[in-house]
Amino acid sequence: MDRRIVITGIGVVTPIGIGCEMFWNNLLAGQSGIAPVQSFDTSEYNVHRGAEVKEFNAEDYILNLDAAHLGRASQFAIAAARLALADAGVEIGSLDRKRAGVSMGTTSGEPREVERFDDAYVSKQLDRIGPEFIQLYPCHVIAAHVASELQFAGVNTMIPTACAAGNYAIAHALDVMRAGRADLMLAGGSDAFSRITFTGFARLGAVAPEICQPFDRFRKGMIPGEGAGVLVLEPLDRARRRGARIYAEVAGYGLSCDAHHMTAAHPEGAGAERAMRQALADSRTNCEDVSYISAHGTGTATNDRLETIAVKRLFKDEAYRIPISSIKSMLGHTMGAASAIEAAVCALAVFSNRIPPTINLNDPDPECDLDYVANSARELPVNIAMNNAYAFGGNNASLILRKRELLN
Amino acid sequence: MIGNRVVITGAGVISPLGDSPARLHDSLGRGLSAIKPIKLFSTEGLGCPLGGEIADFDATKYLGQRNLRPLDRTSRLVASAAQLALADSGWSIEMRNVQEIGLVLGTMFCSLHTISEFDRRALEAGPAYASPMDFSNTVINAAAGQTAIAHNLRDVNTTISTGVTSGLEAISYATELIRSGRARALLAGGADELCFESFYGFDRAGLLCRSNVTAGDFPIPFDSRRNGSALGEGAALLMLEDVALARERGAKILGEVVGHGSSYDCSRGQDSVQAVEAIASAIRHAMSDAFLLPHEIDCLSASANGSRGGDQHEAEGVVAGLNGQTQKLPVTAIKSMLGETLGASGPMQAVSLLETMRDGVLPGIPQLHQVEDDFPLTMARSKNQEADVINGLINSIGFDGHCCSLILSRGEEN
Amino acid sequence: MSTEEIRTKVKKSIVKIANINFDDIPDNASYKDDLQLDSLTILEIAVDAEYQFQVKLSDDDLGVLRTVDDTVRMVQQYLSPVMAA
Repeated sequence: MDRRIVITGIGVVTPIGIGCEMFWNNLLAGQSGIAPVQSFDTSEYNVHRGAEVKEFNAEDYILNLDAAHLGRASQFAIAAARLALADAGVEIGSLDRKRAGVSMGTTSGEPREVERFDDAYVSKQLDRIGPEFIQLYPCHVIAAHVASELQFAGVNTMIPTACAAGNYAIAHALDVMRAGRADLMLAGGSDAFSRITFTGFARLGAVAPEICQPFDRFRKGMIPGEGAGVLVLEPLDRARRRGARIYAEVAGYGLSCDAHHMTAAHPEGAGAERAMRQALADSRTNCEDVSYISAHGTGTATNDRLETIAVKRLFKDEAYRIPISSIKSMLGHTMGAASAIEAAVCALAVFSNRIPPTINLNDPDPECDLDYVANSARELPVNIAMNNAYAFGGNNASLILRKRELLN
Repeated sequence: MIGNRVVITGAGVISPLGDSPARLHDSLGRGLSAIKPIKLFSTEGLGCPLGGEIADFDATKYLGQRNLRPLDRTSRLVASAAQLALADSGWSIEMRNVQEIGLVLGTMFCSLHTISEFDRRALEAGPAYASPMDFSNTVINAAAGQTAIAHNLRDVNTTISTGVTSGLEAISYATELIRSGRARALLAGGADELCFESFYGFDRAGLLCRSNVTAGDFPIPFDSRRNGSALGEGAALLMLEDVALARERGAKILGEVVGHGSSYDCSRGQDSVQAVEAIASAIRHAMSDAFLLPHEIDCLSASANGSRGGDQHEAEGVVAGLNGQTQKLPVTAIKSMLGETLGASGPMQAVSLLETMRDGVLPGIPQLHQVEDDFPLTMARSKNQEADVINGLINSIGFDGHCCSLILSRGEEN
Repeated sequence: MSTEEIRTKVKKSIVKIANINFDDIPDNASYKDDLQLDSLTILEIAVDAEYQFQVKLSDDDLGVLRTVDDTVRMVQQYLSPVMAA
């Protein structure tokens, strides 16, 4: 069983475009998807902006299941899955479906279903909520619906590790494939814009009023978003045999837990450093070989500072060489989808030797003095990319993607 | 199976039938049922008034006098079970200074009650008065995060949410991490709480049993009179380690995880042929992973919970997965007494199976008196059975597609 | 509402949220140093105070609440009809 696992397809649903090509072009151009929130009334809040997906027509992508009977995160996931498979040139009909699996991550699952429940409860009309609640709400439905739509009968896992979930899901898919338990895996994450999430972050004082400006001296916080990212993972030998385009190899990962605080990272970034260190060891990568880092970079005062500390502690002098960008500056924080979309970005970076910018970075925080690719995309050789993600509950995950030409 | 051998050096369980493996097993052996009229919330207007509630659950009993306000019910269940598992497996502070421990937790909902309360308070009082502390518990990995903080678990920390199979999938996930050498010691298992919100959902979907009499008669897995399951709650965690580490520190070895397998029923339970095949597939994967043949399985801990369709699918799936070698296979279904504990269910079945391996007693399925003519699992009995179990098969089967099977082998010391 | 009534309510919040004995909370306790509370707990106490007294503090005001006295004074300011301009 070939233990070298590669990415052959990418599908994304994002606030700056649906589909890999549109998304990547807009990303490199520094386009922002942040705008006034449309999906619910924010007049009672003191913040009003979010990064919602625009012009998403679920029926375009959901061909077997009934889109009207799916939650939004499931719709995004299915769309991203179909886009990824098309991008990979995979003939779904010719797959051994029992050896095709799904590994997805999320933060909230299908929050609109519980919001509907609560609306009904509060207005004393709970009998409006019927059997569909238990069928549509529990978060595992995201991976389940993708599998049902595509008739994938293999491994099916949902890893709801919040803002790091995408990385966890991709790491798990890597392990599943290396163990020979699947010939093809769809791996990624999905989250829908959520009143609950918006309320929570607003209440924590973590939401920026206008823009997301990671690593900037005047950064005011994160901006909640939504979306989905799905990668097609295959063993290298199968990908080669069918002449697939290979974006990158999934070379390894590291996971750790802060065990410190539910919503704030360890004050010295210790957990984040451990995850990165493990990822480097796992993929046998040296610090000097890392070409690019996709940061967690939420734009909050603490995250960006601690993330910088962790990178410096691990990479030492190399930290000043490695370009690091945060696409949350453009996409906002797409929660469980974030690190999946960021992994896609790393794959695209490795494939095309181009990296996206961190936009809105006009006055860097002196404590964030690394090269954060301010405002313009850049061309440079990208051999090895690292994708970092940190979540509530202290869940940290780092993923390493490697150029196919480096595969022996 | 390739890689490090994965052994079980301890277990912690919080259940309505006991907060230790021995107490739980004793209750099951005596046919005691946890299914009673629910007190935790009002079931007025609902079709089913029964559930497997942990009466008077007090986490301070396990976690001491530390401030538990930040932990909601689910987090308290998990943190308590973790405390018990760490103690049971003899992980001292000195040992833990040298070796980090991680946690892989399976849960279907984590804290749906907390999520709902947080949202409702914001709706009723306005978003400015939403509770920040409750918000931190609205993420589905909250219980795993809280437990890591409570017990300083800094190695891998993952949450798996695949419905009923969550806990067994978590054990499978942890097993793979230890096999590959990525981790050496992991708490693995699952939890779910009983709460009005999820209970309502199951009730409205017609999944819960109906009973005209007071507690005791339903649910009856496999019985031809069965009319649904009853929800329960709890937490169960196994301490999994690579065998070299366990031996190094002189830990007792309760058993070994020798195989696991999973698959997905794309019809989500609607098409019997696909459902049965998915269950059979998961079993076959587990068997192949364990290098075992059907006749080498000494007992089955079924996922059956009283579901009309699900129980039948499982019976047929087991026969198919074990190539028909089921006439002499003793079968138990402990959800008959615990109810359907969702994320905790598979791990509770594992805890109970380890006890069976220790004392040779396989709990009966109380009230199982009549089965359909073609019901194939002839050794599903209402009374306890004696069983010399070296290899035991555990199933977790969701009501909407997920299937997972786990095979445990008896510890060498037994 | 008198200062003492406000202080009592704030302390009762701390009892409920941080599980600290009422009598072990000095009148001018510092949340972080004296009571060893983390940021989330401190925020929860502040929001609970807002809820109980039906006032809405700005994010800036929330940021400067370091002691029980701070909270009491802030609540008084918001409740009093004569506020600093």
